[in-house]
Formats: sequence, C-alpha cells, structure tokens
Amino acid sequence: MMKVYAIIVKELKEYMLKPGAISWGLIFPLVFSLAFIARFGDIDHLVPGLVSISALFGTTSFVSSSIIFERRLRTFERLLLSPVSYGEIIVAKILVGTIFGLMVSTVTLLLVLHFMTYPLWSVSVTTLNLLLSNLTFAAMGVYISLAIFNPINVMTWLNIIRLPMMFTSGAIASLTLFPRWFLPIGLVTPMTYSVDGLRYGILYYYDVVPPLASALTMIFMTLLFTLLSIRSLRRLY
Amino acid sequence: MSEPIVRAVNLTKRYGDFTAVDGISFEVRKGEIFGFLGPNGAGKTTTVRMLSSLTTITEGEAYVNGYDVRKEKVKVKKSIGVVQDVSNLYDELTVEENLRFLARLYEAPMENVSKLIKDFNLPAKKKFGKLSSGFKKRASIVAALIHDPPVIFMDEPTIALDVRSAKMVREMVRVLNVSGRTVFLTTHNMVEAETLPHRIAIINHGRIVALGGRNEVRRLVGSEVRVRLKVEPLKSAIIHALEEYSPIFDEDSLLLKVEDVDTFMDELEELKRELGFRVLHISTELPSIEEVFLELTEEENGEKGCACGGCPL
Repeated sequence: MMKVYAIIVKELKEYMLKPGAISWGLIFPLVFSLAFIARFGDIDHLVPGLVSISALFGTTSFVSSSIIFERRLRTFERLLLSPVSYGEIIVAKILVGTIFGLMVSTVTLLLVLHFMTYPLWSVSVTTLNLLLSNLTFAAMGVYISLAIFNPINVMTWLNIIRLPMMFTSGAIASLTLFPRWFLPIGLVTPMTYSVDGLRYGILYYYDVVPPLASALTMIFMTLLFTLLSIRSLRRLY
Repeated sequence: MSEPIVRAVNLTKRYGDFTAVDGISFEVRKGEIFGFLGPNGAGKTTTVRMLSSLTTITEGEAYVNGYDVRKEKVKVKKSIGVVQDVSNLYDELTVEENLRFLARLYEAPMENVSKLIKDFNLPAKKKFGKLSSGFKKRASIVAALIHDPPVIFMDEPTIALDVRSAKMVREMVRVLNVSGRTVFLTTHNMVEAETLPHRIAIINHGRIVALGGRNEVRRLVGSEVRVRLKVEPLKSAIIHALEEYSPIFDEDSLLLKVEDVDTFMDELEELKRELGFRVLHISTELPSIEEVFLELTEEENGEKGCACGGCPL
C-alpha cells in the first residue's frame, strides 16, 4: 500500500494543475452547474445530476490527463520498470482520480446546496454514493485512457462517451420522461446509477434504480473497469 | 573470465508479421561495459525492453542477475536500473521529490537519495522540468541507481545531448563501471563505441552480426589492414606511387589501406631505392569500430552509397 500511496502523492503534485484536469475537470462542471442555477433558480431535482456530472468530469479528466501525459512522455514506463504490480498502478490511478473527483464534486454539491429549496436528506448516504460515483467514473476513465491505442485520441473518445452520458443517465431529465425503448440505454450507462444513488441521498427518492441496486452496480462496475484496465495495460506493454 | 550476469538465448520479439529481434543469443559478463550497437530500427531498444521486462518476450529465454526475465519480473526489476533514451522523470516534482518517489517504489533506503544528490552534484530543490537537458540526463541516470542495482541498462544515453553533456554522461558510465556495476550500453555513437565498452555486439535487422572484444570485432571485416607510414623526406612522388593504397594524411603520417602486407612491403623497398627516402615509422592498425559497423550494417542494408555516384554518401 505504501507504493500505491507514493503514486497517489506523486500524481497529485504532478497533474493537479494540468490544463486538461483544470478545464474539463474543474471549470466545465462548475460553469455547467452555475448555468443551470442561473437559468432555473429552483434546481432541487437537478442537484444529483449536476453533482454526478462534476464527479464524471472531475475524475475522468484527471486520470486521462495523467495517463495521456505519462504515455506520451514515457513516464509510465518509469512505473512499469519499478517493482510495482500492474494492479497497484491501476488502483493508484483510480484512487487519485477519485480524490480529485471528490474534491470537485464536493465543491459543486456545496455550491448547489445553497440554491436548494429543501435540505439534503442524508449526509451519509450522499457521501457513500458520492464516493462510489467517483470510484466508478475514475475506473472507467482509467480504462478508456488505456484502451485507446494512441494517447492523443483519448480526450476525443472520452468526450464522445461522457457527453452523451449526461442525457442517457437521467442527469438532466428523468429517464421516466423518455420513451420505454430508451430505458435499456439508460441502464447500460454507468452514470444512471450514480445519479439515482445521489438522488436518493440528497432528495430521498429515486428515478429508476433502487438505492441498493445502484450501490451494488457501481461496486461491480468499479471492479469490472479495474480488471479491464489491468488487461489493457498488459496489452499496451 | 567473469561469470555472465545477463544472458539471452534465442531471444525473439515479433509484432504481428514483423520480427524486431530475431533469435539473438549473447552474454554480458559481470563488471563489464557491454556495447550494443546497431543502426536505427535494428532492434537495440526492443532488446533492452525485453531484458528489462518492459515488453514481453515472444520466444527464447533471458536471465538477468540469475533471474528468469519471463518468470521472475520483480526480482529482475530490483536487479536493474534503466536509463531510457528520453529523460522521463516528472517535470513538476523537484529532483529530490522524484528520487524520493522512486526510492519508495523500490523500497530503497531514503539515505540513498541525499547521498546520490551529493555524489552527483544535483540541484535537489529544482523542478525536473526546469533543468537543462544535460542535468535531466544526469538526474535520470541517478534515478536508475536509487536502489543500487548491479546492472544498468542505458539506451542511447547521449542522444540529443550537447558535446559537454555527452562527455559528462560518458564519464558517469565509467564511474558506474568502476564502482562495480555492469553496464549494458546501447548506442550508435561511435565515440562511445570506441572508448567505453569492453565487449561489443552489433545488431542489424534484429540479428547479431558481430560479437566479441573491441579488437575481435575489428578483425571481423575483410582482409584490409590499415598501415601507418612515416617517411623522410615526404615527396609528392611517393604519394603518387602509393595511390593504389588510397593514402590519406593523418598528422605527420600517411594512412594506407593494404590488402597484402607482404607485397606492400616489397613494393615499399623498391620505392625506397627508386625515390631515395627513409622509413621513420611503419605500423599496422585494425579498422575502427565505425568502419566495422558501417561495413557490417551497410552490407546487410545494401546501402553501400548514394546511387548518384557523385556525392560522398
């Protein structure tokens, strides 16, 4: 675990202020949230989605930024040359993405809470879902960043995947408002579980997925993306 | 002869249909500087990547410090330090932070960090990204020493460095070797190839085309011997008479390319009588590593010269 901790500290020092992490990971979700606050005023039903979007963009932007830099500058090979297992490297990348995502999504949550009519229902359930959301998105970001062969294409592919997710997950508009055939698309979107989990913690209701199912699915997805990331790393090197 | 510390047996790397390294076998002895020479794309870096377990081995076996590279990766990684052709430490971390980070990964004592910084005169508090290319390379070499490994792989360590920095790196290589470490040096820099390695392997198109001590390798190409000749007085008639030996001036001597030394000596005796000069010095020299390298790799590549026939390529 000391090696994982060392990688996390290194990543935060090295990549926290990189343009990719700041622009897509911090500024975009905050501006996005402010835009909705300015437009609608009463944003209670949007809060889970805005927080989830912040987590998605915070985590994926940070991990992709770090992995793109490390693959292009070949600092990734430094890690691979040292006696650290592929699993430890992937876990460290996911955890550091989670830390960054938690910072960004907590700032967003504190910001949007000011504009809510009703108080937050449960701090502990919200915190748990925030943690699981960030873990899932960080693991997904690590997998996408390693699955794409050419690192310069990572950010493009990431946006192709995560921008539509804002609409297929019920983050902006409830999935119940869409035609029935759209529901399966929503259910294969990792963000759906994050939004519904957070919706339960913040507003005490859920849209399509019950809270326990949301939490278990996010844990399952985190493990799946972790294993897929290790496989991608082995394929790359 | 000391025992081998790196051993490759029929080492092969294929990427799809392309064979980057084609069944090479060699040994590197403990405590030596082993020069691994070859043109761009010959398979040098791929070989280092296989030996350092950075890429998988398609076929064959490799052992480093007695450990099987395929099966004992962690032990191999702890036995080697790798200096890659790029200076790949972390830009936003200071030199000291970089070294401390690596010390944690290798579970090396933290005292190593301050000792190495002092020994190699590194600016500890400066960010790596702010260093000159020479200092970046120096820091990269030091990073490879953090866990005090017995074997150092250096992949083109002087590439893209200015003359002064390249000289400093070569001195570091000697220091590492004197301190008892085995250095596996890949290069296509002939200054390094002439001066640093105890033994040399030349790789071309993924195959080893020469292997041995420097002089052994020099003897591998052709039957041509270089004769250094110093005469007095040096007359233009002598140079004309020796034209078939392609004479060139080197300081106060003539360098001649001679195939049959006995015939040449007979001719020289005759010329002495005809033109009336004294031979002050005569000796034979082996071809340089550069000449051997060019001959062995050109033959394989079929690139003896430019097709125009008029330019010196």
